[in-house]
Amino acid sequence: MAPYILVGVAGAFLFYTATQFEFYRRTGVLGPDFWPKLILVLLVIVCVYEIARIALAQSPDDGTAGILENIAQGVDTAPAPEFSPPQNQPLRLISGMAATLAYVALVATTGFFLTTAVYIAAFLLIGGYRKTKIIVAMSVGGALLLMFIFMKLVYVSLPIGSGLFGQLTILLMKLMGIR
Amino acid sequence: MDNTLTLLLQGFVQVMQPVNLLFLTVGIVLGLLVAVLPGLTLVMGVVLALPFTYSMEVIPAIILLTAMYVSGTYAGAWTSILFRVPGEPIDVPLLWDGYPMARKGEAAQALGWTLIAAFFGGMVAATTMVLLAQPVAKIALTFSSPEYFAIIFFGLASVVSLGGGKLANALISLFAGILLATVGVDDTYGAHRFTFGVPILADGIDYLVVMVGAYGLGEVFMRMEQGFKSPQLEKVGDIRTRLPRMKEALAMKATFIRGGLAGIFIGIVPGAGATVASFLSYGIEGQYGKNRHKMGTGIPEGIVAPQTAATASVGGALIPLVTMGIPGSGATAIILGAFLLHGLQPGPQVFQTSSHIIYALFASVFVGIIVMCLIGYFATKFMIKVLDLPEVIVSAYVVMCCLLGAFAARNNLTDVWLMVIFGIVGYLFERFRFPITPMVLGVILGPLAETNFMTTMISFSNDWTVFFTRPVASAIMCVAIITLIWPLFRYLRQQGKK
Repeated sequence: MAPYILVGVAGAFLFYTATQFEFYRRTGVLGPDFWPKLILVLLVIVCVYEIARIALAQSPDDGTAGILENIAQGVDTAPAPEFSPPQNQPLRLISGMAATLAYVALVATTGFFLTTAVYIAAFLLIGGYRKTKIIVAMSVGGALLLMFIFMKLVYVSLPIGSGLFGQLTILLMKLMGIR
Repeated sequence: MDNTLTLLLQGFVQVMQPVNLLFLTVGIVLGLLVAVLPGLTLVMGVVLALPFTYSMEVIPAIILLTAMYVSGTYAGAWTSILFRVPGEPIDVPLLWDGYPMARKGEAAQALGWTLIAAFFGGMVAATTMVLLAQPVAKIALTFSSPEYFAIIFFGLASVVSLGGGKLANALISLFAGILLATVGVDDTYGAHRFTFGVPILADGIDYLVVMVGAYGLGEVFMRMEQGFKSPQLEKVGDIRTRLPRMKEALAMKATFIRGGLAGIFIGIVPGAGATVASFLSYGIEGQYGKNRHKMGTGIPEGIVAPQTAATASVGGALIPLVTMGIPGSGATAIILGAFLLHGLQPGPQVFQTSSHIIYALFASVFVGIIVMCLIGYFATKFMIKVLDLPEVIVSAYVVMCCLLGAFAARNNLTDVWLMVIFGIVGYLFERFRFPITPMVLGVILGPLAETNFMTTMISFSNDWTVFFTRPVASAIMCVAIITLIWPLFRYLRQQGKK
């Protein structure tokens, strides 16, 4: 029920925000607040319906399913998966998310090459991969390859970084023939 | 008709140029690889390929992405049949009969049926696409905002109703997507909507950022939480493809036709895609097929029906894209993105202004299917070797492509931040079983829906009944409402029976 309460409350807050839009109102003409308000009302109705349904129903997972769900349920002979569902590893997930956020935060300062090489290595380690030589090859080689493809072939100006990091990137660019 | 054939021939000439043919082959191979790898879906594959097309000319860019889209509907069948590992949701119905066939020692025949089904479905849909495109574009020229709104409403209704999962969750996901599309400065009034004083939000949220984040990064986070544990693959013997005899194929013509028609129809419906086509076609075969009682036990009909429909849906989905500028699926939304990046707006006018590009796209579907089948026949054994790659390595590069894709669109790090946020949102959606596709379609179709709704209201003095008094708009709105209400009606009936 928690996700529906959360979304419902967010919907109500956004509806209030929509009432505060600043614009010149013309009588008889719908303003830019009408469409978002309409969608927010529908959103809140769905949340309230679902909260009420869960509160009153015996099985919270029960509910109106889409057509695909029905076809899948209709196949009695569909074989069950042979492998057991994997265990969740929240620490790994949080580390992965943190590494990704750190990458975005740092890339402008430390430059694309260095940040990418470190990020790929960190990602592989967080993902449980332990072959050191392959990690080094994949991170350094991968960062150089991506840099070459995007800067030399696709003409995207990737962040070069500042100070020493910038000088390192420029040196690499010269070595790879990127102008 | 002569004009169409001439334009199509010119399209073939374009596609046969070495550079275009090279990109087509690269697209087919990438699409096949993406479909084989369980962590990558075809939409994700097309999303990840988009940044590589930024510096290309429009024709090779469109050819590359379309080729990936076509072949992405096919190769997942290999792993479904051989290992019971569906590359992506499209391939789930294929394992219900494909895997039992393989267990009976008929893997080569099962792969042969898949190939023939993909070829037939693809070719029939491509022909239908070419035949229907011009007439539909002519009809679309007569449409006004109420009709356009009705079509988009139908698309939004179908993505909710036809998708997997709970209807309420799909609706919430859809509304979230439509709301995301309203963020930014309103075009007509200049009002700041949901910008919360953040300057970058004034420019709005690019749907590509939402797609890359939710589909790409969200899926990687999900698999990271599960520890990148790929299912153990069984040892299979010599992998080869044995094509069915003409007599065997002809005996199954009804299944081919049903699958083809279902795929084209579902493809045309904005909001439904290859997955819906595949499931629905399997369901139809289970209800009306000659061997319906044997479905699920390992019969070719269980392979032919979903595979024909999945590949046929590609041609169908390209029709609303090129004739009305309405992308009906995630993959066509990316192809639309590629068109827009090159300053080309698909729609009825494009047949007058840039018909050579549209017919090159059409021709690439025909050529792509042939190349795909040739590679499928000769190279299945080598292509599935990609499954030996550790999933964590593939995922690391998927994340890099997501980050680069978000950055390269506008050379802006804020888009990368937004993409990571949508990656986390995508993960949370998956975690709490909210489907992502309605949100993505909401972001894409939301602005079109709002513009056409507001234009109608202004043009018809706020008279909303206009959607039900104009014949075409009224018919489409009624179908959309039935589509939306049908699952609820069925649910209430089931509850009544209980």
